[in-house]
Amino acid sequence: MTGTASPSWNRRDFLGVAALVALAAGLPAAAVRLSELPDDEAPSEALRALLREVSQLVLPRTGTPGAGEVGTGDFVLLALAHGLEGARAPNAGAALPAFASFARPDGSLRHADWLEHELNRRAGGNFLAAPGRASLLAALDVEAFAEGVGAHPWRTIKALILTGYYTSETGGAQELRYELVPGRWDADLPATPATVAYSSDWTAVDFG
Amino acid sequence: MDFDAIVVGSGITGGWSAKELTEAGLKVLMIERGREIRHQQDYATETKAPWEMPFRGIGDAALYDREYPVQKLNRHFTEFTQNHFVNDAENPYAKGPGTEFTWFRSYQLGGRSLTWGRQAYRWSDYDFGANARDGHGTDWPIRYADLAPWYDKVEQFIGVSGQNEGLAQLPDGKFQPPMAMNAVEQHLRAAIRERWPERCLTIGRTANLTQAKLEEGRAPCQYRSICARGCSYGAYFSTQSSTLPAAQKTGRLTVITDAVVEGLDHDPATGRITGVRWIETKTKQRRRATSRIVFLNAGAFNSVQVLLNSVSEAMPGGLANSSGVLGTHIMDHANTLSAMALMPGFEGHTSFGNRPTGVILARYRNMETMDGAGHSRGFSFQGGALQSNWGAGKREAGIGADYKEKLRHPGMWRVVLVGFADCVPRPTNRLTLDRSRTDANGLPVLKVDFAFGKEEHAALAQAKADATEMLTAAGGKVLMGSDSPGPGGTAIHEMGGARMGLDPATSVLNKWSQAHDVANLFVTDGAQMSSSACQNPSLTYMALTARACDAAVSMLREGRI
Repeated sequence: MTGTASPSWNRRDFLGVAALVALAAGLPAAAVRLSELPDDEAPSEALRALLREVSQLVLPRTGTPGAGEVGTGDFVLLALAHGLEGARAPNAGAALPAFASFARPDGSLRHADWLEHELNRRAGGNFLAAPGRASLLAALDVEAFAEGVGAHPWRTIKALILTGYYTSETGGAQELRYELVPGRWDADLPATPATVAYSSDWTAVDFG
Repeated sequence: MDFDAIVVGSGITGGWSAKELTEAGLKVLMIERGREIRHQQDYATETKAPWEMPFRGIGDAALYDREYPVQKLNRHFTEFTQNHFVNDAENPYAKGPGTEFTWFRSYQLGGRSLTWGRQAYRWSDYDFGANARDGHGTDWPIRYADLAPWYDKVEQFIGVSGQNEGLAQLPDGKFQPPMAMNAVEQHLRAAIRERWPERCLTIGRTANLTQAKLEEGRAPCQYRSICARGCSYGAYFSTQSSTLPAAQKTGRLTVITDAVVEGLDHDPATGRITGVRWIETKTKQRRRATSRIVFLNAGAFNSVQVLLNSVSEAMPGGLANSSGVLGTHIMDHANTLSAMALMPGFEGHTSFGNRPTGVILARYRNMETMDGAGHSRGFSFQGGALQSNWGAGKREAGIGADYKEKLRHPGMWRVVLVGFADCVPRPTNRLTLDRSRTDANGLPVLKVDFAFGKEEHAALAQAKADATEMLTAAGGKVLMGSDSPGPGGTAIHEMGGARMGLDPATSVLNKWSQAHDVANLFVTDGAQMSSSACQNPSLTYMALTARACDAAVSMLREGRI
């Protein structure tokens, strides 16, 4: 881990910073709501910046804001610490020996630390300052999803970036459509390539 | 406190007992172990969006690992619904050697009626005759004709939408208009019927209203499909939306929550229950009330626990257990994802709204012809066709604007068929009390011994092969399938333990759901089941409850109990 948490960092500060970031971006603070993390899971500012940038590279600004802009990076850090997408599986270090050096004492992987190390390695320095960041990340992405590759920490992080974005108000209700109370069931409607999906299609969310 | 009747439990059957008994003029006490949840007032997450939830609706996985390791496996368990499930750490149960059993529970007013899957199917004489036919278990003392009018009554009151199909194995009912199948499901129904005319895929029969029941304050389904959060429209059947207000309307119902029943008192001289004892879970104070009759509706396993814990000098093996079979022959459907297939060719179709039901492919094996491969009973499929969405992006490479654009649109259609196989009743699958461990109320924990046998494995093997064949014939590209059942409890249809039967020497209950040994005791939840069928049991529990209430009231009026 190249960055370290500020010694004075605490949950209140984190929430405060998050809220300010949200306000600056013109977004509701709830988009980056965070719950308490133990001190040893407190992310450094460098790590927060990295996850913000990586989220933005995966889902960039198009007609709607990108994932980094809506606080997805912080969501990913929160989600990794709390084990969403199996991120705290205790046997991950043993199951993925190539990444074992990033294992916590309980055997789970410090995904964000691994990502920081991996991207800096590929960039030959600070990834965040490197040119061609999208290409560097795309190369990692292709490797992680290559045929025959099973569990991979990037898959976990990417899954959480998607989750963070499409469950945000921007991703769920602007990029996609959201309808809490459809009020009717239309079983068969014509679809075109321009048809926009519903983030409130809970069956698709569960099984899609 | 003295009542005409005490109902233990407030879930799907407890609500029905309270309704039927109060409407018959009885003064009723309903005792619920969990907290009160008020209709339209206490559904705390009903209207929340994912971005309003701390963990976006997915929930705190670390918390779930610690405190909800079983409940988190329930497909309806999310951050939105976790307040409708028990905390496993606070509600332990034991398992015998080799037993895998996921016991999904909802301890609250309304019980699992708030979180149930709402699938409502009649059982047929293939089911009530199953034990007599192949010799497993003990014969049911009733047949479909005994229950048909009670199915009519229950369906019309709770509101079940569905399509009559004229199937002997899945009898027609008094349905509200069905929800429509989507384009892929319609194709699948036709393609299967063309090649296998005896196989019928139809829309799920679900306890969601397609027509309002304004006289009961219930609006039609709004197609949100977030039922387990609680529905202020009252559009799906729950105790809160349906039976509880009916019972309360009589002015004869008293409800006590946060009160776990410890046992029933039995008078050996009269052979009757003389009282119900409970513990107030908040104060740990013990309370007691008396009544002329008792209906146990605590949920199959918990009703058995109450009986096993009601030991006395006269009944050392538990109340109503002169047969020695109390706790035995528990069942749950053997359940697995039999096949999943991509369905190309429907890219020009989509849908709007969230239909709160899938489809069912009714049983077709081992009916007139014994054509099961290694098993003598049935299996059916539930599932449906759905389009993927952004979640599909988790499984593929891609980053950037093109990737984001792709995820903006509905994905490929897929079909899933989940097999539900009949579970053979076995004496070795049983409940006992582990008196070496107690829960927070000082009550011994329930111990489950359970395993599926070769019959269930054979049925699911055939289900997988059949599902693959049908989806392929319909033009699907099968991606995966399984023939291994999930752990017991996966189907959330645990039942049995106080089975109904003709012979008091081999069964706990008679044909009126009345204890052979104790005339004023009725057990009308899943504990009474003698076989499992291969379709959802809740509608049958409700029909049996309504029937038992009618019988009990008649017996009371005639002075027979």
